[in-house]
This record gives sequence, C-alpha cells and structure tokens, in this order.
Amino acid sequence: MTYRSVYVHVPFCRHRCGYCDFTLVAGRDDLIGDYLDALDLELKRVEGVVEIDTLFFGGGTPTHLPPEALRRLFEIVLSRFRLASGYEFSVEANPANLSLETVDVLAQAGVNRVSLGAQSFDSRSLAMLERDHRAEDIELAVRWLRRQGIANLSLDLIFGVPGQNLAEWRETIRRAIELQPPHVSAYGLTFEKGTAFWTRRQKGQLEQADEELERAMYAVAMEELPAARLVQYELSNYAHAGFECRHNAMYWSGEPFEAFGPGAARLIDGVRQTNHRSVFTWIKRLQSGESPVGETDPLTAEGRARELIFVGLRRTSGIDRRIFESRTSLSLDALAGGSIRRQTSLGLLEDTGTHIRLTREGRFVADSVIAEFL
Amino acid sequence: MGFRRMDPQYIRNFSIIAHIDHGKSTLADQLLLKTGAITQREFHEQILDDLDVERERGITVKARTVAIPYKHTDGKTYELNLIDTPGHVDFHYEVNRSLAACEGALLLVDAFQGVQAQTVANAYAAIDVNLAIIPVVNKIDLPVTRVDEVLEEIESILGLDPYTALKVSAKKGINIDDVFHAIVDRVPPPSGKADNALQALVFDSKYDSFRGVITYIRVVEGTVRKGQQVQFMRGGTMHQVLDVGQFRPRMTPVESLGPGQVGFFLTGVKEIDKINVGDTVTDVARPAKKALPGYKKPKQMVFCGMYPTDSNDFEKLRDELQRLSLNDSSFSYFPETSDALGFGYRCGFLGMLHMEIVQQRLEKEQDVDLIQTAPNVTYELLLRNGDVFTIDNPQDVPDPSTIDEFREPIAKVSYILPKAYIGPIMQLCEERRGTYKTTEYMGSERAQLVYEMPLAEIVYDMYDKLKSVTSGYGTMDYEVIGFLPADLVKMDIMVKGEKVDALSTITHRSTSARRGRSLCKRLKEEITRHQFEIPIQAAIGGKVIARETISALRKNVTAKCYGGDITRKRKLLEKQKEGKKRMKQFGSVEIPQKAFLSVLSAGDE
Repeated sequence: MTYRSVYVHVPFCRHRCGYCDFTLVAGRDDLIGDYLDALDLELKRVEGVVEIDTLFFGGGTPTHLPPEALRRLFEIVLSRFRLASGYEFSVEANPANLSLETVDVLAQAGVNRVSLGAQSFDSRSLAMLERDHRAEDIELAVRWLRRQGIANLSLDLIFGVPGQNLAEWRETIRRAIELQPPHVSAYGLTFEKGTAFWTRRQKGQLEQADEELERAMYAVAMEELPAARLVQYELSNYAHAGFECRHNAMYWSGEPFEAFGPGAARLIDGVRQTNHRSVFTWIKRLQSGESPVGETDPLTAEGRARELIFVGLRRTSGIDRRIFESRTSLSLDALAGGSIRRQTSLGLLEDTGTHIRLTREGRFVADSVIAEFL
Repeated sequence: MGFRRMDPQYIRNFSIIAHIDHGKSTLADQLLLKTGAITQREFHEQILDDLDVERERGITVKARTVAIPYKHTDGKTYELNLIDTPGHVDFHYEVNRSLAACEGALLLVDAFQGVQAQTVANAYAAIDVNLAIIPVVNKIDLPVTRVDEVLEEIESILGLDPYTALKVSAKKGINIDDVFHAIVDRVPPPSGKADNALQALVFDSKYDSFRGVITYIRVVEGTVRKGQQVQFMRGGTMHQVLDVGQFRPRMTPVESLGPGQVGFFLTGVKEIDKINVGDTVTDVARPAKKALPGYKKPKQMVFCGMYPTDSNDFEKLRDELQRLSLNDSSFSYFPETSDALGFGYRCGFLGMLHMEIVQQRLEKEQDVDLIQTAPNVTYELLLRNGDVFTIDNPQDVPDPSTIDEFREPIAKVSYILPKAYIGPIMQLCEERRGTYKTTEYMGSERAQLVYEMPLAEIVYDMYDKLKSVTSGYGTMDYEVIGFLPADLVKMDIMVKGEKVDALSTITHRSTSARRGRSLCKRLKEEITRHQFEIPIQAAIGGKVIARETISALRKNVTAKCYGGDITRKRKLLEKQKEGKKRMKQFGSVEIPQKAFLSVLSAGDE
C-alpha cells in the first residue's frame, strides 16, 4: 500500500510554552533558511511527483515563518506532491502572530483547513500556559481566515490547566462554540517529561488539576460540544458531520504516511521511523548527505495488529472486525478475546458483534483499557 | 605428614566473645599476626575484609577456627585453639556449642561503647559452661575512651573482677602479649586421655564443593585418626574418616587429633544436614558410653513463605534453596501452596536476621523474582481433644472452636541503653505485651532493662524500633524461653471479597482491630488503583473488623495521539504493562510484591 498522506514538521516558535514537548527551537529564526534548504534535501527522497489526499503542516508554529519563507516552504513541498481532487491541506496556526499577509499566503497555496492553537478563552489559563495571544486574537484570526475562504477551521482547547476551574472551562467551550468552528480538539493538559511544567510539578511549584476535576471537565466537553453538533469522533476530537480531520483519521486507521522535518515520524511498509529530534542534527545530517532518521521501530505482524487496536480504539466508531482482519490477517478475537470480554464486562468496552469501541465510561480511562491490548 | 600429638597441658582452647563491632575479628587476626600465622599484608587485607562485612551486616555467621602455635616465655610451645563464635542473637545455640568446645573466653569490650546487650548475653553463656573468662577492654587507642566506667560495668553487670581485665588495642597491636600470657596462665588446659573411648564434639560444619562437608570437632576424650570408622551418636550414621586436620589457618592434614585438640575431619558426606552441630563423634570399634551433653536440634522460630513471581521459576527457586541449605543446616524449607501465590516454599529460620541473610543471598545469587510473605513465629496449639501440635503458617490454624489453648513463644529480651531512653522503650515494650522484669543501672549513664515479650512482637521490627527510638545507642538480645497461652486470633484479609491466604496473620485479640485497620491502610497504599473499586477488609472468623476502599480510576487518557506520538505513547503503555507483570494477579486485582510484606509494618498507625 503506498502512502496518500504527508506530514511536514515546522520547528519554529516565538516561545516554547511550559507544557510543550514538541521538536522546536524558539527564538532561532536565523535557522529558517537552513531548515528550508535541508527540507528540500530531504524531499529529494520522493521520486517524481506523488499524488496525495492529505497534507498537514504541524509544528512548532508553521505560521511563525515570515510570509516569504512560508511561501517557499509550500513551494518546496508542493513541487514533490500533487494534491488529489477533494484533498485536505491543513496548517497549524497561532492566533497571536497570524497576519493578514500570512493568511493570504495560506489561501494562495491552497490551504483549506487551519487548526488554531486557541487553547483557552480565559486570560488566566492563557497566562498559565504561557500563550502570547488573547481571546480577541482568536476571534480575529477566525474572521480573517473565513474572509479568505478558509472555512474549515479547528480550535485547539486545553483543559485541566493548573488553577482553572470548571466554570472557566465551560466558558471557554461556550466561547469556542460561539465562533461556530466545524471542528474542535479538546485536550486534557499532559505533563510531559522534560518540559518546564513537569519540572515545576516535581518541585511542587505547580499543582496538577485534581483527577475528579479533570474528569468533570472532560465530561463537560463530551456534553457541550456534541450539543452544538460537534460530534465526538475521537477521544479528544469533535466535528460537524463531514468535517472530521481526514489526515488525523488516517493515523488512527493505521494507514501509511510520509513525513519530513526534524522529529517527524512516518509509517512506511509497516515500519515506523522518526527523524532525529534535534533540529541542528537533522539539518547537519541532511547537509552532509546522511540519513535524518533517528529511530526505527520495526514491528512484528502481531505488534502491528496490537498497535492498530491501540490507535483504533481512540475513534468513537471503534474497530471494525472485518476491516481489522483484512488489514492484519489476524482475528481480533484470537488476538484479544480475553481482554475484550474483560473490558466489556467492566462496562468500559462495547462489543456490537461487528465492532468494538470504548463506552462513554471507557473514554475516561481509555489508557487503562488500551493498555490491556498491548 | 608427621605430627607429634600434643600433651593436653600445652593446649589452650578459647573463644573471643563480644558485641558486634567491638573488634573480635581484629583481635583474632592480631593473635595470628603476632605468632606468624599470617603476614602483615594478610592482616591488613583481613581488616579490610572485615570492614566490608561489617558494612554489609556486621556479623560473623560462620565461626572461624584456627590453631595457633605459640612460644611462651617459659620456653614451651603451646597450641592455642581459637574457636570463633557467630556474633548474632539468632545463633545462640551455635554460640553455646562453640563455647562448649573451649575452656576459656576472651570477653572483648569496646573502650568507648562499653558493655552492650550481646556482651552480656555472651558473657552469661560463657559463665554457664564454666569457662575461665578474661575481660579485655579493646580500642584503648581511640581518642575518646571511658575505660574506668567500662571496668565498672564489667564488675557491676557481669560480676567479673575488673582487676583481671586487660587493656589492649587489637588494631594497633598494643598489649597483645598480655593476651597471650593470660590465655596460657588463666585458661585451664583440657583434661581427657588419649586412650579413652573417643568423644568429640561437633561444633560447626561447612560445605565445600570439592571435599563435601567439613566437620569441625573438638576432641574431648580419646583420639580421632585417618581411616577410623566413626559414628555420630545422635544422628546414628557411621562414616570412615577420610582425612583429619587442623586450621593453621589453612586446612592442614594431620595423622590424628588427641584429647583437647581442635580441628576437622572429612567423611565424604555431601549433605550438611547429616552432620548436626552439637552431636558427639565416637569410635565404632570402641564407642563411648554416652554422648556429650547439650545437644539440641536447631529450632526454627521464624517462618515465611517464599514464592516465585513467575510460576515458571519454581524449580529455579527450589534449586537455589537447596544450594543455600548445603551450607546452612539451620534453615529449613518445605513446599507449600497458596491460593494467592501458587507454588512456593515455607522457610524456617532461627530468627529475623537469619531470614534476612538467607533472603539477601537468594536475591544476590539468583535472578528469581521473589514474593516473600510476612514472617511469623511458631505457635503451639492445645486442642480440646488433648492433642498438642505446632504450626508455622497462619493458614494452618484450625477452627477456633476446637482450640483449648493457643500458645505463643515468649522471649526474654534484654536491652542496654542510655538511661534517658528507658521511658520510651518501656512504653514500646508495654504496647507490645511485654512483661517487665528488671532494671539494672550500669554506672551513672546506662541501664539494662529486661522484659519478657511475645517473640512475635519482637521479630517484626523491634530491632529497628529500638535503634530509632534510642538514636542507635540501644542494643538488644533475646532468647526464647518457652510458650505461653494467649488470646490469639487469625486475621484474614479480603481483597475485593476474596480471601488472600498469604496475607493472613495471627495476632493478639487486643491489638487485632488496630492491626487490621493499619494493614488495610497499608494495602490501600501499596495496591494501585484499578478500573474498578477494590474493597479491602480485615476479618476475624468472618467478622469484618476493618475496611478500606481503593477507588476506581477516574480519568486516564492520553490526550494527543497523532503520527509522531504513536510509538512513544505505545511504548509508555507497554512499560506500564510490563510493571504489572511483576505483580501477582489475584482474581481481577494486581497485588504488588511489596504488599505481601506490608503486614510487617502494619503495627504502626
């Protein structure tokens, strides 16, 4: 199976937020030129011009690039790929530095979906998250994008921010809904090892939200967003019918995809590879003609099948037995019958006969259910 | 090799007895050094070794024995046999057997620390077998000493004449000649005649993979020689003596050992449990009329279950226990099964320290992941039908209605501690059902406190408690003196409604509620939350006396899982799952290994 999706990582930001563990260099815009050159070198791996269905630029903040550099980025990538009709072309953006000029560049390049890092509408949470935008900037960004014809918008929201209460979270959801985006991602804040938040929590300087509060916040998201026709289709994702992110859905169905840029991960021929996470190393390796790959994770057939359960259960539609079996040549029940029965009896999993999927309660403790299948 | 049999009047047999760390090994080595039995280099290496051992645990488990040729000022050469003793409270019996092989003992006391609990216990043991005791105050080279007070303690606590005490530094070699003179002049020579029927006391044994079991003996009457047919009078087995020898300090063959002499013989026996410490060896052709007195079978007082976490490791565990027992006949193991833990072994030990030593060796020398259950003592039961039997596993407690008397082992415990700590330690002893016996003051600063306490209350953590309450200054020694009836009950633990047999304990009714509560609390801390609620209950005879609940997981979701996250998040979950594999699955609940030991610390609130 050849890939129909491409991810490009853009590792630049004005500032590294305390909770962020993505591959990026903040305040090193001097590296943008080298990055673009290196990306061009990495893309030489692509033979000819490949037709794809989804293209996703993530980061970092792709829109942090100055308009000229952003234009060059799109040129470099689009010279290797042809977007098939009905394509989805997504770019992540920060409401803080989204200029009209940048929005123009996006529209001209054919971008038809933008994911905005809104995170919150209350200033206290935004400050805690070290975001450099205000609630008004989100509204402005939405207006500009729509004016340029980019209507497929997604708002990223974070709950469980230290100090955030349930009422504030409800208000953030309310204001997000008010903007009528066709897609919302609502993420529980995660303390990732190596981040400033992690260290501060270790030192007792930062208090993680209470588990019951986080649960209540998650419950609010699962109630309020669907009430506004934003149907939950994945553990953290909600969309109007037909506006589910096709690129991300591709990850959860285990399809192959290519990826470029530092720290970018790809799945080709059943092998997961991750590029070196250091921006500098990634650039150096490409400059000197070496492979930018940092890690390779070859999976056995069974490992691949278990991983498919791991990602598949994230979708509310769950796993279709027939599709699973045709893709893995393994029977879901032979592989995990015991776990399915156990989790079903606990009310965390639903088995319809054709599908297995997490129940509403199962979503709250998804990791504990998913871990059973590994 | 020719060896002239020694005239008993030129033989002196002695032990060095001391509290831990008072310098026993160093003095032994100094005696060897002075007589040329070891070199200066070996002396230093030895000291280093001992420091290492002390750092690890501070105990000599195996007795060392050495024959030292010593040329006295009277121009005669004496054979001084040093019989070292195991230095710990769990090995009372072994100490007594070693002392029984001597006529005298050097009682070594640290010039600063003074008389400690094991000094007292060892001194009394030596007095009991009528040894000539030579008090030796060691470490007089220390910058701060309290020699005069220590001498007072020797008089007031041990009833020994302080004017007979020697003042030495084993480390610096100060006044070591005094020690030799005192041994020759004050330790009586052995009696016994070479022509009498053979009586030799077995005071230790050791397993050697080439030679088999090495039997340590002290000849009391008669002669043992190579080729002789000998019999163990208590064990009843007969063997040919393949080799006889002395430790000088290396094993050195001799033709024979005569009365009063100390050494070893080999019989080719491979199983150490066939050679019993305290047994008497005699000549098959001309047997002695009776065995030497004082023989006891080693008696295990502390028991625990040992189970492999992975049931596939059962045979590995068995092999390892077998290997360990080759060198330690005082440790026993029998297969047992637990509903909770599967197949494993019930292991018996002389005491808690003995248990720790065995456990440490198991951990160090093998890679079997072990679950150890909380230790318990042996109990004696008198049934209504008149039967008396002992149990070493709480699971074996019969229906309470059939029990007339439930008896537990009682130990006499003596503490030596600074006076300021008497109050807190008395309180601790009272809480643990101790019966106060005596207090004796030692000089102006310290006292000896004696209690009789249930062994069960001591073994759990009394030693650690003593150390923490007295900031490390208190020492203790205990000896089991008998069994007494008590109001004991078996307490069961139910996890999610199912009894976990390996968590059952025997406890006194008066403290059962407190113990039950704190045990439930401990288990709540040890068991991680599951996808469902887990009630933990403590019950006596079906009646619940304490309860805790581990709430179900409430939220546990990886928020983002896109292309770059999948591998990392998957590995994270796999790692968590790997951790769970090391736990014991009980019903639907995973119980970590540590939880099975939480019974230990459950006495505290």
